Amino acid sequence: MLAYNPNSKFAPQFNDIASGKKPISDLFTLMQQPGFQLGRTDPNTDPQGRAFIYMLELAQMKYHLPKNTVTKILGGPLASAKSTQIFEEAALDSRLQAGQVDAASAYLSQAKQLHLKYISLPPDINLGDASFADTYAKASITITDSTGKDTKTGSPLTIDITTLIGAKDAAAGNAFVAYVLSPAGRALYKNQGGYTLLTPTLTGNASDVPASIRKEIGS
Amino acid sequence: MAASPTVTVTPPAPEGGGPGGAAVPRGLRYANRSLALAGTTIIWVALLGPVIALLTHLSWHDIKASLSAPGAFEPLILSVESGAVTLGVLVLLGTPLAWALARGTLPFPRVWEAGVLATLLLPPLVIGLLLVFMVGPFTPIGHLLSGLQLSATNTFLALVIAQVYESAPYYILGAQAAFGGVDPRLEQQAALLGDPPRRVFRRVTVPLAAPGLAMALAISWARAMGAFGAVVIIAYHPTALPLQIWTTLQETGLFSALPFALVLLVVALPLPLAAYIWSARARGRRRG
Repeated sequence: MLAYNPNSKFAPQFNDIASGKKPISDLFTLMQQPGFQLGRTDPNTDPQGRAFIYMLELAQMKYHLPKNTVTKILGGPLASAKSTQIFEEAALDSRLQAGQVDAASAYLSQAKQLHLKYISLPPDINLGDASFADTYAKASITITDSTGKDTKTGSPLTIDITTLIGAKDAAAGNAFVAYVLSPAGRALYKNQGGYTLLTPTLTGNASDVPASIRKEIGS
Repeated sequence: MAASPTVTVTPPAPEGGGPGGAAVPRGLRYANRSLALAGTTIIWVALLGPVIALLTHLSWHDIKASLSAPGAFEPLILSVESGAVTLGVLVLLGTPLAWALARGTLPFPRVWEAGVLATLLLPPLVIGLLLVFMVGPFTPIGHLLSGLQLSATNTFLALVIAQVYESAPYYILGAQAAFGGVDPRLEQQAALLGDPPRRVFRRVTVPLAAPGLAMALAISWARAMGAFGAVVIIAYHPTALPLQIWTTLQETGLFSALPFALVLLVVALPLPLAAYIWSARARGRRRG
């Protein structure tokens, strides 16, 4: 989703889009307006920075926007870290709260925790719905990381949880993971972050996962 | 080295003819001195712990790999440039304030000093967050800057502003101490002999305060080169050296980030070190 500054000069347009008076596709022309101050994080270091770009790519496809829409909004090449739009994640949130950007990339959980105004995006571009995994995979970006150039493709935003092999107190680790995945643990996420976890899925060798944890995710 | 300050203190011998300085056995004095040396060494090595850890955890392979990446030295050049501009700003704006503080010519001097100390006390990260309120694009200053086609958000200017705020109190307090060490009677003498105030400042005050001023500059240079907290908030881009360490740490990990810490040390150390040596010599000469 996109968090926005309620005191921005573009606030009336944001409000109209957020309330559904104007279509979501308007958002992507609005973000190209001269003087529009967009804030996002570094796609080379931060998954949120990449997720935001995937979302723009998916929107460009979905709404059949002109081909240069994404680069126009980003003000340059996709993976460039040399952009004045890019901030450290904590700096970005505080900058939005201080009213010093018009809009910023954010996760829904952040927006709820920090009580930000935001525009919800449809599930086929917001990377939040696992059933659209195939659609998300159509978006991609090539970044530089420890392996050199690395092309990453869009995927549902997930939060992974695991225990360490050979941990000193493995039983406590397993108990913690089982609690996080239990109804009580998930309720805590809902109450604190205001969002529901995706249905937990298990990857890798199921027999490596302790029975107590498998029980919580029903597999 | 002939003028080392050993001549200054001669403790008076205790009264009553007790065991005076000369009566302490040579061996005991030697043991005492060794103990003191050992103690100082431990403190010094402990202080250097992080630097030692850095040097022992670097490998030639990592250094070569990190430093041969395209554009690896751009942040270094940027840091040196912005550091130099920062020092210029500090000298230009900090010196008059430091002089006024040292001479006590300001009303309510404690209030002025408390103000400088307040900026020293604030964590750099907090300074960065507050600078957003001050120079962000939608603030009066931000509007003014954009009228001049400038911006203090993710620009060279933002970098310099962050560095100035992180290093200014170190320079001002250091320069204040340096000016405070100049005997005002010497300035008065020069004035009596007909020198106008500006000339007195240039010919008497600054040369006498120079060793202390050099130290203050050296410390603020080191502060500016290492500035991170405020920089990461308002100048994520363009990438200065400390931020390069941070982004490399996140992009490719610890062992490719550490070589840049070595670069920071190698480049940022000579200037303050030279100032330190010169300042110590100048003081020694003056005493001798």
